[in-house]
Amino acid sequence: MTDVLVIGSGPGGVNAAVPLVDAGLRVVMLDYGNTDTRYAPLIPHRDFTDIRRGDPSQHRYFLGDRFEGIPFGPVKVGAQLTPPRMHILADAPQRIPVDSPAFAVSISLARGGLGAGWSAGVFPFTDDELADMGLGTADMQSHYDAVAARIGVAGERDDLLPFLPASPSLLPALDVDTGAESLLARYGRRRAALNADGFFLGRTRLAVCTRPYRDRGPEGYLDMAYWADLDRSIYRPQWTLEELQRAPNFTYLDRRFVERFSEDGDVVRVQATHADTGAAEVHEARALVMAAGTVGSTRLVLRALERYDTPVPILCNPYSYVPTVNLNTLGRPVRDRRHSLAQLTAMIRTTGERPRLLQAQVFSYRSLLTFKLMKESPLACPRSLAVLRLLMPHLAVLGINHEDRPTPDKTCTLRRGTPDRLEVRYRPTADETRTQRADERSVLRFFRRLGCLPLKTVRPGEGASLHYAGAFPMRPEGGDLTCDRDGRLRATRNVYLADGSVFPWIPPKGLTFNIMANADRVGTLLAKRLA
Amino acid sequence: MPDSSATTEHEARVFGRYLIGRIPPPELVARYVDAVRALFTAPASASDEAVVAFACRHPAALPFLDGAAGLRHPGGLLRSKLLVMSAVLEASPEFADEYLPRTPGRLALLAQVGLHGGAAVVQALLGLLLLPIASRARA
Repeated sequence: MTDVLVIGSGPGGVNAAVPLVDAGLRVVMLDYGNTDTRYAPLIPHRDFTDIRRGDPSQHRYFLGDRFEGIPFGPVKVGAQLTPPRMHILADAPQRIPVDSPAFAVSISLARGGLGAGWSAGVFPFTDDELADMGLGTADMQSHYDAVAARIGVAGERDDLLPFLPASPSLLPALDVDTGAESLLARYGRRRAALNADGFFLGRTRLAVCTRPYRDRGPEGYLDMAYWADLDRSIYRPQWTLEELQRAPNFTYLDRRFVERFSEDGDVVRVQATHADTGAAEVHEARALVMAAGTVGSTRLVLRALERYDTPVPILCNPYSYVPTVNLNTLGRPVRDRRHSLAQLTAMIRTTGERPRLLQAQVFSYRSLLTFKLMKESPLACPRSLAVLRLLMPHLAVLGINHEDRPTPDKTCTLRRGTPDRLEVRYRPTADETRTQRADERSVLRFFRRLGCLPLKTVRPGEGASLHYAGAFPMRPEGGDLTCDRDGRLRATRNVYLADGSVFPWIPPKGLTFNIMANADRVGTLLAKRLA
Repeated sequence: MPDSSATTEHEARVFGRYLIGRIPPPELVARYVDAVRALFTAPASASDEAVVAFACRHPAALPFLDGAAGLRHPGGLLRSKLLVMSAVLEASPEFADEYLPRTPGRLALLAQVGLHGGAAVVQALLGLLLLPIASRARA
């Protein structure tokens, strides 16, 4: 009999599977497993500018064969989901229907899940941020280290070290671009005053290989990260899946859509249908690890436990982005060699009644194409184009994450039907909105001191960060529809959750690296239990 | 009402010339027609259709209507179609350089930004007067 069934090949699934497989257990991963076969073969191994000037087929992958890369609509979700990345969300709206009028729900049935389009930011949680789960960095650090070694994390031991502890395997940091270099230089000149006010700046910790690492990389600075995995330097869960597939005790079954699970004594039974033939299948194991993504796992758990019409929490930490003009680089030549991911990270310690940590990332802008910026400009199009061409090399785009905590107005409910439908209601409180605006002002004040002039605050809408969490929180004190400290879903004997659904709240930062480390922890503990 | 191909081709030529000062080659015109067919599946409002038709009949009015629409109807049909044409032009090697960044010296940059910004404001103000007329014209 199979020891463990794992549902999903995203950041949680593969990182939970590794310690199980390493412990010699027989692991079967069930996955829908969509991949991009249309665009990936078209994209040449050349840098962005070279492609722009030379490839007559570029319109196929930049705009898409169905022009799906020209976005319209009010919710600006996932700018990084370009046509070659859109397979990440394919088929999910039909398979897992969701009614969510004011909240963008992105569910992935892709190989690698939403991680196949991850922007690779590595932001481990602090003790304060882990406390609500009954965990601390002492519980998590070995798993942060294990995952960092597995995925390859590049960074610098700089002013961010107290906030983002480094793992022993840390790779050399990526080269920053001209804009980020100028901001770091200005920060360096004013460090003492800025630090005294609670502002710290450093290079973003990124899951990117800056030297050859586990058959990947090194990063080639082609600035094509939003379109292709040309050097395989940026971590994708698929790379770990490939490593897992080399193990004799691991089996990957793709094209499976999981319908429900049930328990019979010590056996967990999973019903799935084949995505292509529609044939029904039953898989059995001693334990089940669910990593179908927060929304996917919510559907499966509520169906299995027959908890229709029962609202569970749903979270997705809001974010805003603010294009600013970096006055430090005006008139200076700009290097063409660059990568597309975050260049810098700022940490800000707030003062007041409830001191908190805010976090912002600094990006430059080029490879997502100029017409998308023109859409945000109120000027006549040719004027916008002229101004943007002048300002683009000097843009520092700030990505500001906000925290998200559960409230009675943020819920996900399963409704019975053919097929069953999820219903998401998400309305932040006035207090939360006020705090977010105040935090944005605070971040912008610091960046003004660094010479960045804000142009506009863009709020892409609720659900846009794709960091979903909170449905079955890990609560040491117990409670209905919660998980214990090991990630086991209470009310089950052998069903574990290893995705975002176990996080009771989301700090103002990216969640993905923490999902991976927690999945590694859940897998490690389960392996010990089953040994 | 769905666009006829000839009308959309005419639109592509007018918009292309407006955006980059040249009439786009036939393959890009055809790509714009395909894009419009794929993206604008729902009927637009009569006033939106009228503004686009007016702009195509009177290309000299386009900078003003575009400027005003950027303020008043940024998600309207005229702006959306201009952005589609812009996307089609940008994703082609022949026009890539028209979209890639420029890095003049600091003074030249500030002067050019000021010039374009000032001109855009004048265009938008004049366009705000023209927009009601265009939106009531025949489609």
